Amino acid sequence: MPYRLENNSYLPIAATIEKILVENSQIKTFVLSFNNREFNESFSYLPGQFMMVSIPHCGEAPISFSSTPTRPGTIHLSVRRAGVLTDAMHELDEGAVIGLRGPFGRPFPVDQLQNRNLLFVAGGIGLAPLRSVINYCLDQEEGGYGQKLILYGSRTPDDIAFAEDLRAWQQVDDCRCMLTVDQGSPDWQGNVGLVTTLLDAVDLDIRRSMALVCGPPLMIRFVLAKLSHLGFKEKNIITTLERHMKCGFGVCGHCYMDDKLVCVDGPVFSHADLIELDVLELRP
Amino acid sequence: MNNTMSDKNILQKDHLVPLLRRLNKDYRMVLPVRNSSGDTLFAEVETLDGCRIDLDSQTLASAKHYLFPQLETLFKYRISADGGYSFEPVCEAEPTIFFGLRSCDLAAILYMDVIFLQKTKDPYYLQKRQNAILISLGCTEPFANCFCNATRSGPFLEYGFDLQFTDLGDRYFVETGRVSGGEIVRRYSHYFTPASEKDSKDQYQASLEARGRFKRQVHVDQATKRLQAEDVPESIWTELSLRCQDCGGCAYICPTCTCFTIRDQPCSAQEGERLRAWDACTFAGFTRMAGGHNPVQHRTQAIRKRFLHKLLHDVEKHGRSSCVGCGRCVDMCFGGVDIVRCVAMINELQ
Repeated sequence: MPYRLENNSYLPIAATIEKILVENSQIKTFVLSFNNREFNESFSYLPGQFMMVSIPHCGEAPISFSSTPTRPGTIHLSVRRAGVLTDAMHELDEGAVIGLRGPFGRPFPVDQLQNRNLLFVAGGIGLAPLRSVINYCLDQEEGGYGQKLILYGSRTPDDIAFAEDLRAWQQVDDCRCMLTVDQGSPDWQGNVGLVTTLLDAVDLDIRRSMALVCGPPLMIRFVLAKLSHLGFKEKNIITTLERHMKCGFGVCGHCYMDDKLVCVDGPVFSHADLIELDVLELRP
Repeated sequence: MNNTMSDKNILQKDHLVPLLRRLNKDYRMVLPVRNSSGDTLFAEVETLDGCRIDLDSQTLASAKHYLFPQLETLFKYRISADGGYSFEPVCEAEPTIFFGLRSCDLAAILYMDVIFLQKTKDPYYLQKRQNAILISLGCTEPFANCFCNATRSGPFLEYGFDLQFTDLGDRYFVETGRVSGGEIVRRYSHYFTPASEKDSKDQYQASLEARGRFKRQVHVDQATKRLQAEDVPESIWTELSLRCQDCGGCAYICPTCTCFTIRDQPCSAQEGERLRAWDACTFAGFTRMAGGHNPVQHRTQAIRKRFLHKLLHDVEKHGRSSCVGCGRCVDMCFGGVDIVRCVAMINELQ
């Protein structure tokens, strides 16, 4: 006997690609709105959360919001080419329809960021989820945020993504961006070296600061260690992790990290949350 | 219809088949059946005629796949020429009586309830679960590899069943657990008689004697304590991993393994199905991400992750180990990488 299922969290909702922003040769930002206007208007999320993205015949993948809910009407998903689904997504044109499920995950603790200096440390595509929380904070004057310092590492100058946002952030009072590349080029005048080298130049009052970190796992490991060394308390270092995911809401088991599920207990975690876990990749 | 049925009743043995026949008129029935190869497995029974019901052997597999199929269509999808992308969910469920579940397999269903029915409920599992009536048969004689006493999932349970049967030789003691169990006894009351005090005493005696009949002693709690104390060296995992052949059999046969993968199965350029299928954390691709990064090193870390999940992390998350002591992984794994060996190796450490 067939059943109509109520509240089916596996069922995607159709959304149209309104615009595609090419960030670099590997990353595109997709500006999306849900086809159902009412749903689009009532849709809400917080920075740090993610959507499960369906591409026809390719299955699904989790992608974090790179937009902020303080600028409603559309959502941004910034996607780096990495495999079958993301390659297929990069072949889509404006006007194409994809499927979305969500929002899922524990967001950035935006309440804890108020009245603090904010240090953002990003590597590569890691800047995407941080872009969401950076713009969220910049849009909220009443948050009382102090100094904002954005450290961003890319592989080469051509890989620098979100150039427009970086320019805009540099224009904001009390907000500074510092870029570095692993490998320079003849035209590159800026810093060369891993993003950890930029941490030496951090001059914020650490006791009144929160750090938010996102990037490849190895980078997260080294940055977290260095931030502790600089005097950041573990609970004041926030990161967001990636895992292979299938359901997005705690059932399929793929994203287990000890007894925690990255899709439900994360993807946002503090360093203090992670130290308790047996996550071998974060051990020195 | 007798409206004063108690929650403890007797079913004479010669009334069992007539009762099952009667139930089969009103419900889909799933029972342990011995097939022509001599294997006992849960099977959907169309008619009890010519059916060899086997209540004496352990079923080779649990009843997991009836509530959580090995392969299941979640929905059909279609891409239309005008750029549409639509989805049509598919779900089948039918009122079903599961008769002859052992305590371990029923305890496993209670664990699956915890996994699939969280704040966000899995609707596919929920439909099948809400349509299931669970009638268990406590084990008066544990099987060769059983250790449900160590995992507190048998040989008899206090709750979770709709009805729990105990074999008292010439009759069954039938305890009502949940409301649906009580309804079965009420609706078919002429097959049952109320249990006497002596019947209750005999049931209690049988459950005590069952505890003394285990052929294995598996000290699960002790292993959990050692894992909590981080008192277990990597060499144990290396040794176990060397013998793992990546077949996934342990996960497939385990009544509490519920991990699954989801994929699209195209049927044409415009249509397809989104399916889910059982998965195993011991497979290399379980945690591998696009681009190749894998936070779990396949060889030693995957086996370690599996056993830590069963013996430590589930204790921390749910208050008890998710192993139900059915012992099926012992016979399944030809490399001997089963939980009984793992627990023994952990406990043998000085």
